[in-house]
Parts: sequence; structure tokens; C-alpha cells
Amino acid sequence: MKTFLAALLCALAAPALAADTVKIALTGPFSGGSAPMGTSTRDGSKLAIAEINAAGGIQVGDKKMKIEVIERDDEAKNERGALIAQELASMPDLAGVIGSVNTGVVMAGDKHLQEKGITKIICPAAGSASLTQWANKVGPPPFEGPKTLSIFRFAAHDGIQGAMVVEEAIRLGFTKVAIFFDSTNYGVSGRDDLLNQIKAQGNKLEVVATEKWNIGDKDMTAQLLKAKAAGAQGILIWGIGPELAAIANGKAKIGYNVPLIGGWTLSMSNYIDNAGANGNGALMPQTFIEEKGISPKIDKFISDYHATYKVDRIPSPVSAAQGYDAVLIFAEAVKQAKSTDSRKITVALEDLKTPVKGVITTWNKPYSKWDPANFETHEAFRRPQVVMGKVLDGRVTFSNPADRDRLKAQAAK
Amino acid sequence: MPGSIIAQMAVSGALMGLVYALIAYGFQLTFATSKSVNFGQGELVMVSAFFSLTLITLGLPYLLVIPLGLLFGAAVGMAVERTGVRLALEQRSEGWILLTIIIGLFLFSFAENIWGRDDRPFPTPIPSTPFHVLGVDVTPLEVSVLVGVLAVMGMIELFKRRTLLGKAVEAVAADRDAAELMGISATRTIVLSYALSGGVAALAGILVSPITTVGPTMASALVLKAFSVAVVAGLESGFGVVVIGLFLGALESLASFYLGSGWREAPGLLLLILALAVRPTGVFGKAVIRKV
Repeated sequence: MKTFLAALLCALAAPALAADTVKIALTGPFSGGSAPMGTSTRDGSKLAIAEINAAGGIQVGDKKMKIEVIERDDEAKNERGALIAQELASMPDLAGVIGSVNTGVVMAGDKHLQEKGITKIICPAAGSASLTQWANKVGPPPFEGPKTLSIFRFAAHDGIQGAMVVEEAIRLGFTKVAIFFDSTNYGVSGRDDLLNQIKAQGNKLEVVATEKWNIGDKDMTAQLLKAKAAGAQGILIWGIGPELAAIANGKAKIGYNVPLIGGWTLSMSNYIDNAGANGNGALMPQTFIEEKGISPKIDKFISDYHATYKVDRIPSPVSAAQGYDAVLIFAEAVKQAKSTDSRKITVALEDLKTPVKGVITTWNKPYSKWDPANFETHEAFRRPQVVMGKVLDGRVTFSNPADRDRLKAQAAK
Repeated sequence: MPGSIIAQMAVSGALMGLVYALIAYGFQLTFATSKSVNFGQGELVMVSAFFSLTLITLGLPYLLVIPLGLLFGAAVGMAVERTGVRLALEQRSEGWILLTIIIGLFLFSFAENIWGRDDRPFPTPIPSTPFHVLGVDVTPLEVSVLVGVLAVMGMIELFKRRTLLGKAVEAVAADRDAAELMGISATRTIVLSYALSGGVAALAGILVSPITTVGPTMASALVLKAFSVAVVAGLESGFGVVVIGLFLGALESLASFYLGSGWREAPGLLLLILALAVRPTGVFGKAVIRKV
């Protein structure tokens, strides 16, 4: 009887122990077509968490607290994302959530987190809609965004990426382009960004073909032949790895040699691997290039990732670097808030006093107080943190060598 | 729209259609002898492709991988017959429908757990750089599909007509009871037909994988179309599935070009409904008078 009582007491005491950790949920697709992004984000985040925990944890008020990780695989499915968000929203002591690759998953799940005020850093989903869904809209129908928002983003949103893609096409001297996109929320919102950007940059590009496909499609001949027949000099494209590879392969098959310029997903390992030599020359905005020699911090991050996960190439370098930096920023916010309460962390994130040294850059006040009239208040990335990458023989390199020099100079400062 | 584009679309589509035809042929083989088909045929295509991929990553030469892959498919086909079909047939029940679906689901989970959920490239020594024939770009990979499908179907048809064992298969297909009275074991013939069907499915997997990549869901769309082909062509005619397969494949890609890629599947389904309404025995099928 005594042992039973003792066991019972221990069981009751356990939740009290759990309060001595900072609970962070890492979510994302760890399987399926988006898995390279999901697993790289998770693994990048865990590298940062391991470093923080090895140093004793985060200084929260007068004690040091270690980070406890909760992992959830949303399989890139919207309905799984909604279920996971509901589950996380019902956890009483969750400090925050980092993750989500797919815009559809974000749209399905984040409202549950926002309702409970749980801090979430969307990383690396880039679809503009993830944050603009909370912003004011003129209508119809008019929409007024919430006064406070616990959702932040840590990725170069498609607005920036779309602008860069259109710039690049103009720089290459194109006048006629095709727009290709997949039928998911990500693809459709990417198409809208591209069309808006073409207009914003002075209608220098004529869109001669607009084609879409579904996730899982393998044969893109029809779409490509239409673009070829219309004389498109380049394909501006928004989709994910496996289908992008099918397009690169289809392009080679019909002898249609024009570049793919698109979202950062063109750097996914399942694009690079499945397209092989046909994938060369694809251009995409990148927040991080897996290349040593730019700064010691970047070198260490790349070596640590390779050693810890026993790979010689990060499946999605951008995701890994963003996952890493997102954790550092979140930890800094916990420290400043002196609390693991999500609402206090949100306030701290909106006014981060100490700059955070990440692998992408040094983050100086990445966010500001949420303003529903300006969604960029909760966006960390601006144009200067993004460079153009290019697929070359199985790796992503700098498309413009000047970017490499710029990053080196910045790191040396 | 220039004629060359139409020709290009039709040829690319028709060559993919041959893969539907090959899978449909697998349905015909077992239906002829046992009046049953394996509803998990798509999963059989998929596990055979994964098995062959594993052999390739182990470093085996492609020419050795093909026969081993076919043997693997045949073995799985026989296992399906033993576990899912034989008992049901002995009891004259339709239980094989559900059992073969269940075996398919099992193979699906098996593949997900062993090889993961991701689509993977299938390396082959056959190049995919296109060459130009009569105004149309064709890749050697697509030609390999054409050659592989026609060679294997031709060999099986010859086997059925020229060898004693093949004639036994034909006899069981024509009249099971009479064949048994002549001393032919219907059970063993059915096993043989399932083995052939499994081998054919494996070949379909090996031929299509370099074009579409390998993944657990790779065959779900293929097998639906193969069903359409089998039903439209009729469950008796090997020649019929080739013709209908080519036709359906070309129709699909022309539809995705003219109507938009979202309408790709529509003409095939319309064709299926039409065939069922007008010629339920299939375009190349013979109406069988069943004596009661």
C-alpha cells in the first residue's frame, strides 16, 4: 500500500517537474513530397536546441530551463495539420510552436493556436496567405484583422520571392514567359504573387501561357508543349520538388531548353535528385546557401549538421538554417519575457531588445508590434537577406557571385 | 495548332498507354483461367518496382535486375493466389474481391515501412535524351516501354499457343470442367496464370519507374486506367488491350492539352461508361452464352 501511495505521489508530482522545461513543438511534414523541408527544419531546430541545452538551457528569470521538444508529423496534409494544431492548442504548458512547410496546413491549423494565443513561428512555409490571412482586406468582403497576433513567420515570404523571380526574368532579357503552378494553396498564391509583381514592375513581361498541375502528376508534356508553342522564353514556376522535377525532365524530353525560375522549393533535394542533369540551371531565391568559407559560424553549422545527421548534403539547406535561427530567436524571446507563457513570449518577440546572431544573418529586431494593416510587422525577412541560388550538378550555388562577397563582407563586420 | 504538337502529344500519350495495356493484360491472364482478378495489382506493380530498385542500389546490373524483378513479381502473384484467391474459388464465393484488396493494402503498408513514402528516382542505363523521328521527340526510355511490352505479351501469347502447358491454360480458360476431365489440374493452371500476371505487373513497374519515379502511390492511378482499358477492350483479347491502351493514352494527353490538365482523366471515364452501355463485353470481347 505504501509503495502504491508513493508511486501515486510520484505520478502527481511529475507535471510539476515538467514545468521546469520550456516546451517547444516542432511540426512539419516528416514524410512525403515535402519531407526534405520538414525534416531539415526539424533537424536544424534540434541542432540549436541541443546547443542551448548543452549550455545549461535558457535563462528564464532566476533559473536555467532546458528545452523539451514535442514532434508532430503533419504529412503535409491540411486535415492532419488542423488536428495537430488543436492538440497543441490544448496543451496547458506549451511555450510555442516552430514549423509548418505547407501553406495549406498553416491555413488549416493556425487559427486554433491564435485563439489560445500560443506563439507560433511559421518556418519555412513561404506562401503569402499564411500571414495575409490575418491582415486587413479592403474587400469584397472587407475583413478586419485581429488586434493582436501570436503567429510570426521566419521565411522569405512569396511576396519577396515573387519580386525576385520577376526581376530575374527581366534581367535575363525575357519578354514572354509562362507561369506554371501547382493546384495547392501554395501554388495558387504563388501565381497571384507573380502576376501582381509583373504588374508592379511595369508589365515588362507578357504571360503567354498559364498552366497548372496536381500533386502526384508525372506527365507534364501537355503544359510544356503549350508554353513552347506560345514561345515562352522562361518558365516562372511555383510548386514542390517531385513535380518540379517532372517538369524539368519533361522539358528535356521535348527539347525545350528554357530556364525554370521559381520559388525556393527548386532547391529541394527531391527536385535536384529526381531531375538529375535536367535540373541544372534552375534559379530560385535562397536565404541560405550550403557553402563553406563565408563565415566560421556557417562552416560550423554545416559541419555540425553533416556530422549529427550523417549526410554529406543538407536535404533543404534553407529550411535547416531557418529552423536553426528560428529557435535562437525564440529562445532569446523566452529569456527576455522571463517566462514560458506564450502571451509574454509574443510580446517579447515583437520587441526583441538583444540582437540574435544566427547563421543567416544577425537578427536585429526581426519583428515589431502586430499591425493588421501591415503584415510585414510579423515577417522577419526582407529583400537583403535573400540571394538568388542556382542548381548546378546536384547542389545549389550562388547564381550571382557578388552575393557571396556581400555575405562575406557582412560576416566580417 | 501545328500538327507536330498533336503528333507529339499523341505519341507520348500512346506510349504511356502501353503501360496501362500491360497491366490490363495481367488482369486478363488470371480472368481467363479463374474468372477472378487481383484488385491489388497496382501494389504488386509498386512492390516489384521497389524490389528492383533495391537490387539496382545493391549494384546489380540492369539486365540481371529485370529477370529477378519478374521472378519476384511472379512469386508475389503466386502468394496472392494462394492466400487470397484459392479458398474463395473452392467455396465458389466472391471473397477474392475483398481478399485481394486487403493483400494490396498490406503490400502498400509494407512498402511504406520498408522503403518510406517518398518518390525516388529509378536509375537505368537507358538514356532519356530524346531523338527525333518523323517530327516527334521520342526518348529511348519510351522505346524501351514499347519493346518490353510487345515482347513480353508476344512471348506469353506464343507460349499459350505453342506449348503443352500453354494449351492447358487455354483449355482451362475455355471450359474448366472439361479440362479437368481431360486430366488437366485447374488449380495448377490458375497458379501459373497468377504467376504470369505477377511477372507482367513487375515488368510494368520496371518499365514505367524510370519515367515516373518509384513511390508507394505510383501505381494507384495506373491501375485504375488499366481497369478501364481491360473493361473497354474486353477481358479476352490481348490484341484488344494494346489497341485500347494506345488509344486511351493518346486520348488522355490530347485532352490535357486541349481541355486543360485538370480534364485529363475525363475522356477515359466517358469511354468506360460508353463501352459499358453499348458493348458490355468490351470492344474486342466475345459475347459468351452461358449454359445453365
